[in-house]
Formats: sequence, structure tokens, C-alpha cells
Amino acid sequence: MSELKTIARTQLPKLDTLSVVTMGLLMALQLVISRFSIGNNFIKFSFTFLIVALLAKWFGPWWGMMTAAVVDVVGTLMTGGPYFVGFTLSAILGSLIFALFLYRQKATWVRVALAAIVIAVVVNALLNTLWVTIMYQTPFWSLLPIRVLKQLIVTPIQIVLLYWLLNSRVIQQIQERLNR
Amino acid sequence: MSKFIFGRYLPLNSVVHRLDPRAKLMLSFCYIILVFLANNPWSYLILIGLTLGSILASKISLGFFLRGIRPLLWLIVFTVVLQLLFSPVGGHTYFHWAFINISQFGLINAGYIFIRFLLIIMMSTLLTLSTQPLDIATGLASLMKPLRWLHVPVDTLAMMLSIALRFVPTLMDEATKIMNAQRARGVDFGEGGLFKQAKALIPLMVPLFMSAFNRAEDLSTAMEARGYQDSEHRSQYRILTWQKRDTITWILFLIGFAAILACRRW
Repeated sequence: MSELKTIARTQLPKLDTLSVVTMGLLMALQLVISRFSIGNNFIKFSFTFLIVALLAKWFGPWWGMMTAAVVDVVGTLMTGGPYFVGFTLSAILGSLIFALFLYRQKATWVRVALAAIVIAVVVNALLNTLWVTIMYQTPFWSLLPIRVLKQLIVTPIQIVLLYWLLNSRVIQQIQERLNR
Repeated sequence: MSKFIFGRYLPLNSVVHRLDPRAKLMLSFCYIILVFLANNPWSYLILIGLTLGSILASKISLGFFLRGIRPLLWLIVFTVVLQLLFSPVGGHTYFHWAFINISQFGLINAGYIFIRFLLIIMMSTLLTLSTQPLDIATGLASLMKPLRWLHVPVDTLAMMLSIALRFVPTLMDEATKIMNAQRARGVDFGEGGLFKQAKALIPLMVPLFMSAFNRAEDLSTAMEARGYQDSEHRSQYRILTWQKRDTITWILFLIGFAAILACRRW
């Protein structure tokens, strides 16, 4: 867990204008992409995790967690969904996990897969089911199998897409321009 | 497409619409906590009264609220049916077979949960329908101010948020354009298996990323040319004012809140 220590020691870096604006546009992109979900009635999933991972990889855990929280709050409020603090916590945790595995690291298969699997198990399967249970009193143990099944199908696709995106030429070009 | 995300706001000129966004945001947060606290017929009756009162005051027709319920429908049905079938024995039992057990207790519980679902969804729909996204952002930024004491860069986050909201419609239009351009060259969006559908979105995502980043570069240069240095040392043009109607609304709700706590069964 040497990553945890470096992250705890990293102060919030002072941002240049380009980073501020890029983060803003990535947040906008996340709000846009959340509208394009694919799948059928039983399994729906969107690509917002790609943006969360990018924000965490480029700007680190602190900015990742803060933008994740803001996008979660604003996103739910703007689409008219019921707001619940638990889901914001989930979003923050997801971003932190991505940053732990990917910030200042090369996106290898192992790192990407581990990050996606930890998030799928801890955040999506366990925590989000817990929030639904608290919010609507849906029985936890009967909801869990359905949600675990969904994660089993979705996570491999997520891993492939994430690996592909983070290692794509376009993303690497942008990263170079950001660091210039 | 740009109507999609912002179109949920309904520009009507009602009391609810003119309220300070901060007042509305805090009310909706408190309201959800309150729904958790209600636990008997009287407290639910007061909650229903508060909710219907707010909806009537907003002059928005009920159909919009019913549309807000649709995405959560399967969860509502699932929960209500499970509560109905598997709740512990209590009161009069109407039907019993193996571990399935429909009792008076289960019926009442399922009813409560159904109402709870409706109330939570309706109130959050009301907030979105009656408040412009930019007002929500300004309100949130203002409510986050105390976090400065925890060294959270509130002003920078507010800046990012306003950039994000400004560019949602632009990027939405752009996404539609790219999709159409790729369709014209034979990409099928939303067809085939799950993985095939996901793969089809790649020709959408890559140009979208590139165009977003090009915009970011242009915008940041333009901002710096206009004298932007950081988000802290500057003044504000958009200013929210707390008015008498905000105080009155809060007092009305606080009376409702107190009434619910008073008739709650501990």
C-alpha cells in the first residue's frame, strides 16, 4: 500500500487554467455520456466509468474524488432522480480506487482489471445494494444476487474498454499536451 | 438532443419556481431524511400533505411526476411484492403456503414502502422541474462554501461545475453530430449483442474526447487572455438573494417536520 502513503502525502496540486478547464469539460462529458446507455431492459450500463478513471489517472485522488462527488450530486439533481448521500460516497470511493491503481502508473491489464474488479465487488455489488436497501427497504439478500449477476456480465466489458481507452493514441496525445 | 438533459426544467412562473435555489436544495435534502423518520399513518398523512401542497404550488401537472417514476418502476414492484410475500407473521394472516405469507402486517408495510417511493421520487422531480440547472449549480456552490474550512477548493470546483454545465448542451449536440456522421458510414448504434454495442461506441467516444480537449485548450487560452489567474481572488456577478418567501416556505415545512416528529411512534 505504498500508493496510499504517497497519495496521503500529495498535497492538492495548484492547477493551471488548462487543467481546470479540462476537468470541467470532462465533467460535462460525463454528464453527456450518462445519457447514452447501452443494453436491453435487463442489463443497462453506461460509460461514465471511463471518465471517472481518466480524471483519477490524470489529476489524482483528491481532484478525482471531488469531481466525482460534484458530478454525482449535480447529475442526480438534474435528471430528477432521488438524491441519496450513499451514492455520492460510492462515487467518491470508486474514484479513489481508480486513482490508487492508475494515478501516475502505466495502465497495464493487471492494474485495470484489479481496479475494475474491486469497484465492481465493493462499490457496485455491496455498497450500492446497501444504499438501495436503506433508501427503499428493499430486502438486501434478495437484491444482491441480481446485482452480482449484472456485475459479472458487465465487468469484463468494462475492463476491456478501460484498457483500450487508457492506452489509446488519442488519450496519450491529450496527456502529453496536458503535461506540456 | 440538447433539450434532453435541460428540457426537464419547466419554465413556469409559480411561487416554487421563484424560490431561492439554496432554500429548495436544503429542503429536498431534509425532506428525504424526514421520509425515513415517518413510521405511522399520521406522519405519512402529513408528508403526503406537504408534498401535494408543494406540487400544487408549483402549478406543474401531475403527469410530469408520473414520468419521473417510470425508470424506478421495476425496483418499486420488486420491493413491494417482496415485502408483501416474505414479511414476518403479524396481525391477521390471509394466505399461507410454505414460506410465502401474506399477512395484515405485510400489507400495511408494503403500502408504506410504496408511498415512501412515490414521495421521494416526486419531491426530487419537483426540485429539477422547478429549478434551472445553472441555479442548482450556483446554489450548490454557495452551500459548499463552509467546506473551505476543510481546505476544499470550493471556488475552483464551482468554476469547473459552471464550465461543465455550459458545455453539456454543446457536447450533446456534438455527440449527435458524430453519431450521425458515423451512421452515414455504416456504424450501427444499439444493435447486436452487448459487446458489439459497446464496441460501436468507440467511433463516437474517440472524436468526442478529442473535440472536448480541443475546446478545453481554446477556452483556457481565452480565459487567460481575459485576465483569469485563479478562482479565489475574484468577485461574483451572479448573486443569490434570500427573500421573505424563502423564510415563509421554510417555516411552513418546519411546522410539518415538527408535526411528523411529534406523532412519530418511537
